Amino acid sequence: MGTRILAVEDDERIRAAVKLALEDEGWTVDEAASGEEAVILFLRQPADVVLIDIMLPGIDGFELCRTIRRHSDVPIVMVTARSDTHDVVAGLEAGADDYLTKPFAPKELSARIRALLRRARPAHPAHPKLVFGDLEIIPDEGKVLRDGAELGLTKTEFRLLCELAQNPGRVFSREQLLDDVWGYGYFGDGRLVDVHIRRLRTKVEKDPANPRHVVTVRGLGYRLQA
Amino acid sequence: MAEKSVISEPVSGKSPKVHRTQRPRPRLLKPIGLRSRILITFGLGSFALSLFLALATYNFTRSNLVEDREKNVIEQAYENAAQLAIDLRSNPSNTQTVIERLTANRPLLYFRGTWTGDNARFSSNVIDRDMLVATIDNREPRTMRIEVDKELVLAIGIPLDSADAAYFEFPSMQDVRSTLNSINLALTLAAIITTLLGIFLGAIVASRAVRPLTAASQAAQAIAGGRLDTRLEETDDPDLSALTSSFNDMAAALELRVERDTRFTSDVSHELRSPLMTLAASVEVMHARREEMPERAQVALDLLIADVARFQGLVEDLLEISRFDAGAIRLNVEELLVGEFVRQAVAISSLPMTSVLVTSTADQIIIRGDRRRLARVIANLVDNGRAYGGGELEISVFVPDDEDPPTQVWITVEDHGLGVPLEERDLIFERFARGVVAGRRSGSDGAGLGLSLVDEHVKLHRGRVWVEERHDGSEGACFIIELPAERV
Repeated sequence: MGTRILAVEDDERIRAAVKLALEDEGWTVDEAASGEEAVILFLRQPADVVLIDIMLPGIDGFELCRTIRRHSDVPIVMVTARSDTHDVVAGLEAGADDYLTKPFAPKELSARIRALLRRARPAHPAHPKLVFGDLEIIPDEGKVLRDGAELGLTKTEFRLLCELAQNPGRVFSREQLLDDVWGYGYFGDGRLVDVHIRRLRTKVEKDPANPRHVVTVRGLGYRLQA
Repeated sequence: MAEKSVISEPVSGKSPKVHRTQRPRPRLLKPIGLRSRILITFGLGSFALSLFLALATYNFTRSNLVEDREKNVIEQAYENAAQLAIDLRSNPSNTQTVIERLTANRPLLYFRGTWTGDNARFSSNVIDRDMLVATIDNREPRTMRIEVDKELVLAIGIPLDSADAAYFEFPSMQDVRSTLNSINLALTLAAIITTLLGIFLGAIVASRAVRPLTAASQAAQAIAGGRLDTRLEETDDPDLSALTSSFNDMAAALELRVERDTRFTSDVSHELRSPLMTLAASVEVMHARREEMPERAQVALDLLIADVARFQGLVEDLLEISRFDAGAIRLNVEELLVGEFVRQAVAISSLPMTSVLVTSTADQIIIRGDRRRLARVIANLVDNGRAYGGGELEISVFVPDDEDPPTQVWITVEDHGLGVPLEERDLIFERFARGVVAGRRSGSDGAGLGLSLVDEHVKLHRGRVWVEERHDGSEGACFIIELPAERV
């Protein structure tokens, strides 16, 4: 079965053109013109990647992100009008994995989707099981347990945790994480890392305000410890 | 009909014609400022007032003091004269005894051709001839102020009842004179102090009077500097409230207009993005099928693709510019190693193979800035060099004048084009202002916003950018970005 992409965009012509471009990549594209339509469609036929325009009539992109997140760990790419507003952080906090700013080149979009798909597929690490205090990571199964209970991480959060877990104690800079997890170079948006670390903490830490496992090393980056 | 002589004003290309409500009249003398005028008015006013008061006081005191004193001494002299007349009648032969018996102040008696006195200094010699004639011959009493050995005395002459006799007395008025001198001095000092106080008061009043104007001028400067929400403080002074409210109305109207213009640019750019999205996606789909197309369609498609890309860049630049105008830029500031940063920025520019020379000191320098916006600055300069520079570029990063410790860093982009004429060096950083050199090129893909964005971004990072000729003497332009920096 091929890769399915759900594109949520209220502008009919943009939707049609994006569908054409993505189909050229060999992917199947489902279209939704509103958030409500997208939810119904997604529940009936889950996609591998969801593309959401933040500016939607009815329930907006943020709300749609949160709704989908309640049901699924599917990678979400959001499309914003501007990159320097609060929109980006709000979207990432609502559960998006990556973002693009309009107008973007479809090539850029397919590159982002490919990076997310690569990430969505489980990696094959050397260790079948990694333990950090009360945390247990089982890469092959894509599972994280805390005190034996499974935590619902999204695929990107899981990828980020595995990246940090591969070299316990080592400090990863934002640039490295951006490159390893998102496939961005030097000019990636550091907020992607920051917001994902924040999201990760709310799930793996008992007290997210005073993280024990995912620690910030001032001026350098992040580190995972037991 | 409306025949008015038009004064031709030099209208520069840059500034639009300014309508002034009133042209200042030409003056022969340098105009005196409001502050000086108030100061002068107060100074002259207080000087005149204190002069008048001092003179009035002096004259009043003097007449009182002198007249009282003169009245007293004259009365005394008359009493003495009356006593003398009685004594003389009983003892006319011995005038010396008569005078001595009289307890008068410097008396002098003329009796039948002989003078008798008790003080050698006050003889008939000191008396004015007219007075002598008047008193002795015409038998009229006289007084006269005279000075004897620098002493002011009042000479009093009284004819006596008996024929051919007159009595003179010379009471000293020196104490009155010294009192008057003291008063004179005191009043002069008072006048000077009052005048100075007046000037001081004038200075305070002037600065208070000018303060609202100073505030207005500062506010106007702030508005000109881009802080459009600047307003004057409301005042309950009825004279000033008119100025304040009309100034604030003007500022509000201006702010609204600028806001509307900015919003318009922003709205237009936003609206353009949706069709652009469709265009970009569609041309990409077509591009994937380019080989299936007839040759002429391929040429047309290539044109379409190139201009969609240009259009996209233009809209992005417009959006960024409108953000500048709205003051809505939020920098995502990070510490960046300048050498590494420039190399990375060049690597994603339109000429990724351009050489970047970073001196060893510059390699250990950090700048604080928005990574992606600064990369845009480099990219725009590279684009500019590619469009107008005629071939390869050279990019260098170094600390100017080998400053130690370094406080700033220079990033230079040098090309081999025609250079930028001196008169266009400021102009090229303005929006849509392509230089003559640039304009001569056909088919240029410069959007006309690139360099203005460079300028605005660099200013936002507290740096500056300018253009010079190449430093090695060959033909070409050298763009220099100066940014605040420090050692790692």
